Amino acid sequence: MATSVPSDPVIRVLEVRKSYGDIHAVDGVSFEVGRGEVFGLLGPNGAGKTTTVEMLEGLRQPDAGRLEILGLDAVHQPDELKERIGVTLQTAELYPKLTVVEVLDLFRSFYARTLPTDQLVDFLDLGERRKAQTRELSGGQRQRLAVALALVNDPEVVFLDEPTTGLDPAARRSLWDLIERLREQGKTILLTTHYMEEADHLCDRLAIMDHGRILEMGTGRELVDRRFHERAVRFDDLPQVADAELSALPSVTSVRHDDGSTFVYSRDIPATIGALLDTLDARGLEIDDLGVRKATLEDVFLELTGRALRD
Amino acid sequence: MKALRALTIANFRGYLRDRQALFWTLAFPLIFVVLFGLIFGGSSDQRSVAWVDEDQSAGSAQLRAAFASVPAVKLVDEDQQAALEAMQNGGVVGVIVVPAGYGATVAAAATDPTQQVAVTYYIDPSQQTSSAFMTAYVNGVLAQVNLGGKPVAVTSQPQTIQTTQLNAVSYLVPSILGMALMQTGIFAAIPLVADRQKLILKRLAATPLRRWQLIGSNVIMRLIIALVQFVLIVGVGVFVFDVKIVGSLVAIAFLAILGSLAFTSLGYVIATLAKTEDAANGMTSVVQFPLMFLSGTFFPIAAMPDALQTVARFLPLTYLSDALRQVMVGGTAYAPLAVCVAILAGWTVACFGFAARRFQWQ
Repeated sequence: MATSVPSDPVIRVLEVRKSYGDIHAVDGVSFEVGRGEVFGLLGPNGAGKTTTVEMLEGLRQPDAGRLEILGLDAVHQPDELKERIGVTLQTAELYPKLTVVEVLDLFRSFYARTLPTDQLVDFLDLGERRKAQTRELSGGQRQRLAVALALVNDPEVVFLDEPTTGLDPAARRSLWDLIERLREQGKTILLTTHYMEEADHLCDRLAIMDHGRILEMGTGRELVDRRFHERAVRFDDLPQVADAELSALPSVTSVRHDDGSTFVYSRDIPATIGALLDTLDARGLEIDDLGVRKATLEDVFLELTGRALRD
Repeated sequence: MKALRALTIANFRGYLRDRQALFWTLAFPLIFVVLFGLIFGGSSDQRSVAWVDEDQSAGSAQLRAAFASVPAVKLVDEDQQAALEAMQNGGVVGVIVVPAGYGATVAAAATDPTQQVAVTYYIDPSQQTSSAFMTAYVNGVLAQVNLGGKPVAVTSQPQTIQTTQLNAVSYLVPSILGMALMQTGIFAAIPLVADRQKLILKRLAATPLRRWQLIGSNVIMRLIIALVQFVLIVGVGVFVFDVKIVGSLVAIAFLAILGSLAFTSLGYVIATLAKTEDAANGMTSVVQFPLMFLSGTFFPIAAMPDALQTVARFLPLTYLSDALRQVMVGGTAYAPLAVCVAILAGWTVACFGFAARRFQWQ
């Protein structure tokens, strides 16, 4: 399935399954993450991303399959493993009445090897809030603290579960910068997200998940190019023009509507646009907000699952 | 050990910054002690003392007159058995017994200075105020009686007995200590459920921290709070309301620790059953108030209606408070001490066992 396979995998997931009653939360998932890679699991809520990650973290037991991190078995060697990985969970509410420094020091006490508190505070840019109780932090600061807690043991592998969900755009940006800096430090990062831009922006490679399965895997570019050789002409929906008419235009491969916009996919954009404008002119119709767009991961996801990747 | 200590300190910080927890575990029981102490602690103007005259002579009548001359005392004539019963149930603060042959010995002492006779008086040392009063009263009156003859002809001989009816404050201090230990213990449920609900327990599970360290720090914290309660409640009882502690501190501390463990384990049962913090709050109230009012905290179980007495027999706080009263102030046993200890220990094991098997960490 994937064209790029890591040469030095530090995370290996092989044919992992986990069911809750009749629900196959994870249904035969396999992937590998190379050293220093940022790997994303992209999918809507309920796709099985969190369940997969929590099995790797030793928080859930798989029904079948193998999970390995740094050569350690996640099922049978969780204690050794927990010393060497860092984890954030989806919710970041931690000890509301303790201060930033107190929570960091508490977590440092759990590990044999730790980074100095001051270094963590500086790295996460929490210096001004070091004496603040965690309940007084903003959402973005709280999430940065959660990441700081995942770094107290200077882990080789970091798991970030929906790190930017619920954050405003500025806070999301600052968290992305933070993840970039972790990548520069050579950490291997596995993150889950349901934001396409986030996966596109941060991940070296990603896997698209839905209904407990991996549908596609590769770099963002690979995923798009594999399915879409064409680009799209985008304009605001014109109810007077039928899809059949658009499909009949030269070089058009498909037509899709999403959120008030029409996308006409084409192998030859200038030819398609020319013919489109001629057709509309002949019928006395005006076109609004015309543009050309490359196919994106969103298109890939739509193509794969038939639904949009939104929360 | 590093993790255990750090987690205990972190829990303590959370506790000290939680005004509600502080109020219920420290201020609330203290308010009870002070309130009841003020209500029941004041002494009445006149005290009744039983007078047992086994001599029935002119000499003993003269002595009675001397004792009766003290205006703060009302003498009640009784035979010895009735007098001791009256003292048992709190009707009189003490008993004075004039032995047979008293009159003859005093008469003989006028010529023979070696002749002496002892007046016996009964006190209950656990009733500090009453026994101090009796000692002063008897010796004070006898000193006056002896002024006429030298050397001393009439001496006093104190006898101690244990009375059923403790004075109200002596009864309440160990009871309220028991109640406070109960509350601190079952309140262990609330932060635990909150931490689970906020996924803090799950986050901790992703670190090398072991579960025994998590529970260990929780238990240590409860025991330290219990110690603070012990010092505060007993301190106020002893220094403000003159409660006399008769038992050994080791025995009291043992009971306090056992009681604290028994109710902390009950707290874990609540934490196991409650899904949310609100549910845990509700359940602690539901458990707390019947325990508080039906376990003989404020009045003896024997004074309750039969149906409620049956309920009390099944409540663990009944046995903790009873044991504390027995050991701290010499209260009369509702159940033998060994039975109390066994019930509390069995309760602890059963509750811990249930929670250990059923508690959901995530």
